[in-house]
Amino acid sequence: MTSVEFQPLPHAFPFRLADGVVERTGPAEGRVRASVTSDAATVRAAGFPAVALVELVAQSALLLQGGDAALGRKGFLAGVSDFSLERVPVPGDVLTVAVKIAGRFGDTVKFEGVVTDGGGGAVARGAVTVKQGI
Amino acid sequence: MSDDLKKRVKELIVRQLKLEMDPAAIADEAPLFGDADGGLGLDSIDALELVLGVEKEFGIKVQDEEVGVKAFASVNALCDFVREKAA
Repeated sequence: MTSVEFQPLPHAFPFRLADGVVERTGPAEGRVRASVTSDAATVRAAGFPAVALVELVAQSALLLQGGDAALGRKGFLAGVSDFSLERVPVPGDVLTVAVKIAGRFGDTVKFEGVVTDGGGGAVARGAVTVKQGI
Repeated sequence: MSDDLKKRVKELIVRQLKLEMDPAAIADEAPLFGDADGGLGLDSIDALELVLGVEKEFGIKVQDEEVGVKAFASVNALCDFVREKAA
């Protein structure tokens, strides 16, 4: 068997989706902003990938937990549940992700997230589970 | 030990973890985590879901991971934990 060294993807361009924290309302609760651009080839070709909203909520949760968006992450997306999409974001949208903790067990944390657009319209909502410490 | 509590705990496990099995098929002493024979093979994400389920169903908070590991050892262990906290 060949041993492969695992290198986690950094949460920096082009994998970084969350711009930064807008407001903290608790130890790991608050709002995060994300700007949708047409920089990525996939967005130009097929629009914003809806599944990336799941990753956006996870990144927002980890940012509020103290992760550094520029240097890398402090955990990874481990699960998703009850996620629903209201509309696919388009370039020019400035999204807000409101995140709060649903529960914690050791280094496994579940967050509930609601994504809205600049007008307050619903974009997506759901829960993500993240594993911290990597 | 109350059979009603065991039934309620088993139904909670199946419902919270969205398992496709009859709650009655879970053995009282079978390990919930790990790959031991007869166990459910649950993992840390399942443990978090159980924490949320126990809080919602019984109004009991699982304070830390150490307590949770003991409480979630088996159906019997979880029933003991619920009875102790509810007393």
